[in-house]
Amino acid sequence: MVADIFRSLLRRPAGLISAALLGLLYAMALFAPFLSPTTPSAQNLDRTYHPPTALVWQDGHLCVQLYQLVDPSTAAYQPLPDRSVPLRWFSEGPSYKLFGLIPANRHLFTVPDSHPIYLLGSDATGRDVYTRLLYGAGISLSIGLIGVFLTSLLGLTIGGLAGYLGGWPDSLAMRLTEFLMAVPGLYLLLALRAALSSRFPSDATFLLIVVILSALGWAGTARVVRGLVLSLRERPFILAASIIGQRPWTILFRHLLPNTFSYLIVAATLSVPGYILGEAALSFLGLGIQEPASSWGLMLGQAQDIKIFMLNFWWLLTPGAAIILTVIAFNLLGDALRDAVDPRFRLPGK
Amino acid sequence: MHFRTLLLLALVAVTPQACAPKAKEVRPNHPLPRGLDTSRAEPGRRGGVFIDSTPGEPSTFNPLVSEDATSSGFIGLFLDSLVHNNPVTQEVEPGLASRWQIAPDNKTFTFHLRPGVLWSDGHPFTADDVVFTFQAIYDPRFPNRAAFDLSVDGKKFTIEKIDELTVRLTTPEIYAPFLETVGGVGLLPKHELEPAFRDGSLLKAWNVSLAQKEPRRLLATGAFRLRSYQPAERIVFEANPHYWRADAQGVRLPYVDYLVTKLVKDANASTLAFATGQTDAEGLSPDNVAWIDRYASRYGFSVFNRGPSPNTGFIWFNQNPGRDTSGKPFVAPHKLTWFTDRRFRQAISHGIDREGLVRGVLFGRGQPLWGPETPANKKWYNPNVTQYPYNPARSKELLAQAGFQLGPDRKLRDRLGNVVEFTLNTNQENQLRANMATAFKENMRDLGITVNLSFLDFGTLVGKIQDSYDYEAGMLGLTGGGDPAGGISVFSSKGRLHQWYPNQKTPATPWEARIDQLMSDQLHTLDYPTRKKYFDEVQKIMSDETPYIYLVTANAYVGLKDRWKNIRIPPLGSLIWNLDELWTPLLTP
Amino acid sequence: MTAFILRRLAALLPMLLAVTLLVFALMSLAPGDFLTPVKAQRDINPALIAELQKSFGLDRPWYEQYALWLGNVLHLDFGYSWTYKVPVAQLIAQRAPATILLSLTSLLLAWTLAIPLAVLAAARPGGWIDRLTSAAAYFALAIPEFFLALLAVWMAARTGWFPIGGLTSLDHDFLSPSSKFFDIAYHLILPTLVLGLGGVAGTLRVLRANVLDVLQSEYVTAARAKGLSEKVVLFRHVLRNALNPLLSTIGYAFAGLLSGSLLVENVMNYPGLGRLVYEAFIREDQFVVLGSVVVGCSLLIVGNLISDLALAWSDPRVRYGR
Repeated sequence: MVADIFRSLLRRPAGLISAALLGLLYAMALFAPFLSPTTPSAQNLDRTYHPPTALVWQDGHLCVQLYQLVDPSTAAYQPLPDRSVPLRWFSEGPSYKLFGLIPANRHLFTVPDSHPIYLLGSDATGRDVYTRLLYGAGISLSIGLIGVFLTSLLGLTIGGLAGYLGGWPDSLAMRLTEFLMAVPGLYLLLALRAALSSRFPSDATFLLIVVILSALGWAGTARVVRGLVLSLRERPFILAASIIGQRPWTILFRHLLPNTFSYLIVAATLSVPGYILGEAALSFLGLGIQEPASSWGLMLGQAQDIKIFMLNFWWLLTPGAAIILTVIAFNLLGDALRDAVDPRFRLPGK
Repeated sequence: MHFRTLLLLALVAVTPQACAPKAKEVRPNHPLPRGLDTSRAEPGRRGGVFIDSTPGEPSTFNPLVSEDATSSGFIGLFLDSLVHNNPVTQEVEPGLASRWQIAPDNKTFTFHLRPGVLWSDGHPFTADDVVFTFQAIYDPRFPNRAAFDLSVDGKKFTIEKIDELTVRLTTPEIYAPFLETVGGVGLLPKHELEPAFRDGSLLKAWNVSLAQKEPRRLLATGAFRLRSYQPAERIVFEANPHYWRADAQGVRLPYVDYLVTKLVKDANASTLAFATGQTDAEGLSPDNVAWIDRYASRYGFSVFNRGPSPNTGFIWFNQNPGRDTSGKPFVAPHKLTWFTDRRFRQAISHGIDREGLVRGVLFGRGQPLWGPETPANKKWYNPNVTQYPYNPARSKELLAQAGFQLGPDRKLRDRLGNVVEFTLNTNQENQLRANMATAFKENMRDLGITVNLSFLDFGTLVGKIQDSYDYEAGMLGLTGGGDPAGGISVFSSKGRLHQWYPNQKTPATPWEARIDQLMSDQLHTLDYPTRKKYFDEVQKIMSDETPYIYLVTANAYVGLKDRWKNIRIPPLGSLIWNLDELWTPLLTP
Repeated sequence: MTAFILRRLAALLPMLLAVTLLVFALMSLAPGDFLTPVKAQRDINPALIAELQKSFGLDRPWYEQYALWLGNVLHLDFGYSWTYKVPVAQLIAQRAPATILLSLTSLLLAWTLAIPLAVLAAARPGGWIDRLTSAAAYFALAIPEFFLALLAVWMAARTGWFPIGGLTSLDHDFLSPSSKFFDIAYHLILPTLVLGLGGVAGTLRVLRANVLDVLQSEYVTAARAKGLSEKVVLFRHVLRNALNPLLSTIGYAFAGLLSGSLLVENVMNYPGLGRLVYEAFIREDQFVVLGSVVVGCSLLIVGNLISDLALAWSDPRVRYGR
């Protein structure tokens, strides 16, 4: 089944390109410490709001252009003519743990003598935006995946049981989903966040946000799964299974739920953007990921300062571009998957 | 611009009357009161609209209810008080009382009200209004902040009416900031509010709803009276036709016809409104000065540097030796040993790159801070406090003296081998503070100290600091300025905001005992030099012992449209405190 | 039918009870309360804090506070806002019109733009209109709403083409009625565009798929066979049927009337309910929060009811009542 989907996906260029792009993004997030020249918390108070450093080709080396601060009051930098430093490849730098496990200190590139290299500029305390973007990707991208996983798990279990068992468990589950869907989402989000924030340490906010977003999100999935199970229950192969005496649980988990998987994959793919945008909105309101951790939403939230627009610190808006790109890719992929699974299948509108 | 013109043209085409001149409202010309105050400012011309903006929203127009600066600011525009605090000279000046005497016991104050002053509805202002105001404030049915400001050790002042225009106030003990405190009390109209006072609904009177429906019922003695209030949009004040000040040529103040305040969401929006020429005045933060300056000639404004702001920022360690209900100490004992060691605190202070913070975070527009008052508070600031310039070598020396050692792993350990590590708590709403916290963390790493940052909701943070005490270090700011009496809850060891160890029964250290003594002494004398001497010593002790490790203070900037005359910019407080004297030769913005 | 409506409305009560209880419990779990900022001021007396706590009922356990509130609600008294000292109902009623106005204009924008575009796109799948609109829709759905709002504010500041925030000009009170109308319209342009863009994209996608579905049905083939012009087929026969499923989204639109624009209102400085509600959450002004939750929740349920009814009215196959 999954192989079928994959094969038909291969025939759709938009879906394929999106899948490749997402693969690349996740790989970058995974290898963030290796790909970045420094750490996300390293500051340089003499280099705040540094523009992206130019790369020049000099004497057969790829070199980074050096700059000087010409006006501290506007954070205006100017390139120093003919001053550049060659990049060092696969060199030693700050040590880190790859995948959180393997200790390492090699970086794809670094600059000797702690000269600054800011591929995407620096922020208010002179931290490297490129590095923070890579580290932030880890959080922003995994919130979507983990959130969708939790939602699907909850939705599948509750929706599946409700649809299969019928009767009072069904009504109970449906009332619960109606209840969740009847509360204005943003209000509940604000209330949940306020209530739970003190029970999570500030570095576990990540978990908190996933829990909140999933707690609000499972109701929709559960209703779809229930509907699917209801219609599948009457199919001949299920009836056959119960006639040959298979136990209800076996039927549910062996026959019914696996048949909803393909729909679930589509639904999951299409709901990842909701989590990414949800994290961004929360962080924008100052209720999301907290410093010194980094996420795209947090970085974008910090860029709402008016001087960033007025002084053209455009590089601080790159997290916005990253979010847009990722969300488009997920939506394209989801649509392609849906066409592959069943062109006529439609998910309830958001 | 082009697009807008087109759009406006389209509008005009559809609605020919769009450009019709507005109906000119004529200010009624009432006779000047006998007790007129004549302004010494340069005489100007009447007319014009002064526009400013404020982040947030007034929550009330009732001075008994107001808890926030925004509401109090609006109330101050229309409700005048017995005396004024001049923010430029930091001296007390006559207000609705033209003069006053202090009896030799230094506890009895007799105020003589200006004769002939009228409320904005034409009703005379008399001693009855003053007595009514104090009755309302002290009435237990109406819990309010002024009742506590206007008392010494829980004892109220007494007030008596001598005649129609004379009142006498007596304090139970000598109370140094008496005049400053009384200066903040907006006097209420008895004839308007007495029914609400009688039936107990006084706290619901003069709420935002009334301000929308019947703005003129908010009676004024100040330069302005309320004209209209549209929530989340704007507040419009108009000149009070019965105001009691005039200029040297006998023209009744204020000069401006209207004062319009746009209500915007936050400081960003407020700054933007000024930078695009929509408002006349704005306080600017240092990081915005540079780009706003670029628009100065286009919109005809100038940016002024007011010098250091009265805002302080600081880090402190929890020195509370107590235990929670389960018997667990608030602070781990070995950490408490570090935190209560003065050398440790001084070493931390020397390890902070304040100049770097000023350069990087404040765009070079600020200065290091060494004590509880900033130079903005000219009257009380002590410049001779102990300073802790950035000096990691000195830090290491102090740490070594206190028995700390840097291991080969670049981690600092105390005498017993404990790695020095602590968590710094601060609130997440303040971006500038968040930047300082991350910079502090990096500075401390250079000393081998690991700082974990914890950004909390303001509510959670206050809970930790004031109720549960389960934290190691905190970072916050306080707005300084004003009279030392306002700092009692911070400096005195009994104080609620004595954050490193609040609500002490007896002072934990000799220096805290000394501060308690000094704070009490300065409160019970009216002699400024004596009070200054005491408070100077408080500031010196605070800097020596560094229970608060002060960080930096940003400079305060203001932008003002060039068309306004008689501008006098005070080092602290409201920019347009003398709004009644401002005038403009250019009536269109 | 009446029985059905009544049954649905009756279900509203337990729902409201549960939702307000949940929100109240959550708020009481949150650290601090309305008086926390007061406590942090340096010159405030602890005795005053204690007295205020008592007068707000904050010294009692949360369930007692909730029961008190509930008791008052039964008398149609939704309590006072602690911040403004004004009845909550009055406060919400003051701010709601601006929010409803914005929601309606953006809904209008979404439908008037999306319907013709969707029909045109579906008429020739894979054509340039289809490709262009679907690319634009992907993009519009991917921009975080607040980010778009920020960009709009910045654009307005840089160019001066549009006002920055607000709903009326300073001299609004002095304008003639027609100028007042245009003044408001001018202030509404940007917020409507920002809030409506996502709606345009969403509606467009749903509608396009619907139109494609209907185009494949037999009666369309029949209509074409009759020799009707393509325009008539598309807009008379196809569109009417394709709009049916869209009716079910009316419920969501209705529900979002008051809460949907919270983020945009906050970023764009729009004088609606969003700013009030958000601030009430931040300040923990309990009764304002509860009041807005009650209103939001009722709107959602009533909205769903309306869309069910609309569906029944337009599609005779749908029947209600058991």
